[in-house]
Amino acid sequence: MDIIGFLWDALTPVNLVLALVGVVLGTVIGALPGLSATMAVAVLVPFTFTMDPAAGLIALGAIYTGAIYGGAFAAILVNTPGTPSSIATTFDGFPMAKRGDGGLALSVATFASVAGGVVGAVALLLLAPPLAKVALAFGPTEYFWLAIFGLTLIAALSVGNTSKGLIGACIGLFLSMIGVAVVGGDVRYTLGMQRFLGGIDLTSAIIGLYCVPVILDLVATADPHLKPSAQGGLRVREGLAIAMKSKFNLVRSSVIGTVIGILPGAGGSIAGLVSYSEARRSSKQSETFGKGNPDGVIATEAANNATVGGGFIPTLVLGIPGTPPDAIILGALLVQGIKIGPTLFTTDAPVVYTFIWGLLIATLLMLPVGLLIGRYAYASIVKVPKTVLAPTVALLTIIGSFAIHSNMDDAQLMVGLGIIAWILNRYGFQPSPIVLGLVLGSIAEQGFVQTWLIGNASGRIPEMFFGRPISIGIIIAALVTLTFPIWVDWKARRRKQLETSSAPADDAGASIAPEGKTRDLAGMTFAASFAVLGLAIWSGASGLTMLGSVFPRTIAMALAVFSLMLIAQNLRRPVGTAGRAKFALDTGGWRRLLLGAVMLAWVFLLPEIGFLVTSFAAFLAVMVIADHDRPPPQTWALWIATAAAICAGLWWLMANVLLLRMPAGLLF
Amino acid sequence: MKTTLATIFAGLLAATPLAAQSAADFPTQPMTYIIPFNAGGESDISARFQQAEWESVTGQQVVIQYQAGAGGAQAWSQLNSLPGDGYTVMGINLPHTILQPMAGSVGYKTEDLTPVHYFHYTPDAIFVRKESQFTALDQLIEYAKANPGLVTFAGSGSNSSNNLAAIRFNELAGVTTTYVPFSGTGPSITAVLGGSTMAGFNYATSGVSQGDALRMLAVAADERLAAFPDVPTFKELGYELVGGAYRGVAVPASTPEDLRQRISDIVSEINAQPGFVDKMESGGFVLTDVGYDQMDAFVAKRVEEYTAGAKALGIIQ
Repeated sequence: MDIIGFLWDALTPVNLVLALVGVVLGTVIGALPGLSATMAVAVLVPFTFTMDPAAGLIALGAIYTGAIYGGAFAAILVNTPGTPSSIATTFDGFPMAKRGDGGLALSVATFASVAGGVVGAVALLLLAPPLAKVALAFGPTEYFWLAIFGLTLIAALSVGNTSKGLIGACIGLFLSMIGVAVVGGDVRYTLGMQRFLGGIDLTSAIIGLYCVPVILDLVATADPHLKPSAQGGLRVREGLAIAMKSKFNLVRSSVIGTVIGILPGAGGSIAGLVSYSEARRSSKQSETFGKGNPDGVIATEAANNATVGGGFIPTLVLGIPGTPPDAIILGALLVQGIKIGPTLFTTDAPVVYTFIWGLLIATLLMLPVGLLIGRYAYASIVKVPKTVLAPTVALLTIIGSFAIHSNMDDAQLMVGLGIIAWILNRYGFQPSPIVLGLVLGSIAEQGFVQTWLIGNASGRIPEMFFGRPISIGIIIAALVTLTFPIWVDWKARRRKQLETSSAPADDAGASIAPEGKTRDLAGMTFAASFAVLGLAIWSGASGLTMLGSVFPRTIAMALAVFSLMLIAQNLRRPVGTAGRAKFALDTGGWRRLLLGAVMLAWVFLLPEIGFLVTSFAAFLAVMVIADHDRPPPQTWALWIATAAAICAGLWWLMANVLLLRMPAGLLF
Repeated sequence: MKTTLATIFAGLLAATPLAAQSAADFPTQPMTYIIPFNAGGESDISARFQQAEWESVTGQQVVIQYQAGAGGAQAWSQLNSLPGDGYTVMGINLPHTILQPMAGSVGYKTEDLTPVHYFHYTPDAIFVRKESQFTALDQLIEYAKANPGLVTFAGSGSNSSNNLAAIRFNELAGVTTTYVPFSGTGPSITAVLGGSTMAGFNYATSGVSQGDALRMLAVAADERLAAFPDVPTFKELGYELVGGAYRGVAVPASTPEDLRQRISDIVSEINAQPGFVDKMESGGFVLTDVGYDQMDAFVAKRVEEYTAGAKALGIIQ
């Protein structure tokens, strides 16, 4: 077959080197939260203008797939998705790392990513034109139901604590509505502030919601960040065995990832969430998901790397980019004079097939590259003293959220949301439902309003929502996901009642703390204020157009109802003697408070004073806060030198490699 | 060691006169070109076409950065806070920069922005998919007259050029249709191709990448496009509909007059490069050459035109 012939074109030394360099670069960039595949690909596009088209594409594709994979590192080691695609990797990856299985989680993630990437690339190689039809079969209605399906995962993530999960989701959905509405063009909930016009940036919100609480907890105690592993290393053999045993999960997740990747605008984060919830539902140990089950990592990582190949299908066949990096690569192809579209696979077959083979090779190269980088990353995260680790992670979060739009507003929002998330988390409102709402909100809203408009034009609104075959399929899947955890929970409770066992369940590292049996006064107070927020959202919708106000009103009502539900639930419970969330200002509490203050000062002073000076000063301050051991002056001198090197190095990377305009301020 | 020091010193010497340079030498270092949208849209693609010619015209490279948000308003509201040394330029679009400040407080006013050159526009056009029953515009109009509201147009965004064109079309043809906004050209074309909506009001550029999967019924340009010689203009068919999204290059307000003119000249010169013209025209873009000297009159005319449109959209009374 001709296709095989193009494999030799892809195997030239130049192409292999480009694939290797691309994967290394992509993995590193993806591992740094905030630095995305989009950014890396955008910076490198001009260099490909002078290259042979296929070679340029291979380099860009390798960076892209490497970055999606690299996101897993930060997710597993510091509980922060390096890219939005690895949101669901944190659910099980970080608990694994915490209990000493971080190396294992990394090697499992590597095998899953390679497998998923290969499935996506093979689909692109063999089935691209027919699969592109999937993209067209998905209309606004299907996107709406897909987003609802994603939201049903909340039921699984918050078993035993459903009302708080639902409230969190409503808050996330509300955050997704801030800014200028795509549909209707209304300016919503910006409080008249310029910074909210563009909406809440997803990536900086994720960094804040997941990572800031981790840093706050990091400085509070002297315990190591991750429990040191008993065996050490990445435990590659064990990881491979686990991946092989979960081959069914691996294949299913890869297929889900490929199909969702084909849908323009859905992307890796939704693919990861959907396959995670499928893996959880079909697992025999579904109760261990969220507590460090490797299958959760496998599902997410296989799916998100499969979206790379999947996303190229509509990009190359229809000229409709699946994801932002696809869009940049599409632009690069056009500059090369290659006509995208249905005829591409015949007229420019050499370029396309050489590129696809190159992408496949790059995916396979992720295995050695990833295991090597992973080994080093894991060892350094475990070994680096907290005093250096905490400020480094803090600096990375600030740089990362700044880098997205070269805008300090995003970094300020990141820290603010992070501190709020930490407080809410203390009272049982987890960050994940909020993130889910934020990710899925705009897709759900646009799908809903578009379906409504189209249905209204022909007077068939109910048929539009409930009468389309693919929609019915998604609705059934959503219903199953929604009811399944409740059913499992009920069954488990019944069994427990029968056994009348008194052994308390070990819920260390549980993704959601089980609800207390006594009245939760703090939770009730929060719920009351959320009910008020619901009212405010409702009244804020009054000046909007009809299109722009449907969704906010619905969310406002849901938020108020769920909040009142939580209050009612608690009123039925006996008043407890000891609130479990007593806020005592011990040394840990003081350290947290100080750190929060330093981070706030950091992001607000940075634009005034300048990046380097502020960051170095804040870095030192965080070091002092994080220090529990009081080491000798020589150690401090070494640490301070490290701090200077890290700040200067990252500044150089931002200003000269990624070409960002760094805030200069008064000093520098 | 000595040579290294000498090189650094020479480098410093070469760098110092930057501030005092004349517009004739401009540019002497790489430039930054901020696109206020995400990658892959028409703004990005046309800028990438320019980027490929930039070095041969100016002797310096240009770096493209994206600063998407609020339909471009995020970046435009910050344009004037950027350094006015000419090395940072930003893409600017019409009708966005006229309609957005009319619709609400978006952090900038139309007259705050300093466009130096509008180099092309993408005309609006009506598309249907291959399987559609409509092969000519009058069939669609007839159908719309018989079934008010039933014809759905997918388009990119609310209060956008597509949205304006759909409303103008309703007025001119005396029909009622439903405009369904999508979050960009890609999703709205997907909706047309997949049959979610009956037709689409998109930019003519979309017709190129879709080949015969899409049928263009009419285009809102003055003359037929080189890429689509068989597609009639609305004018030919008797509807006075010409327009689309204009794209240009803007500079911070602090940029001196001579540099504004120089950047306008650079864009003009790129516009004349045969390779660039060929890529743009075969891509369905229509080149314009509105330089800095004609800018005030051009923008004033558009403001007048879009104010009427904004009334029709219900943005202003």
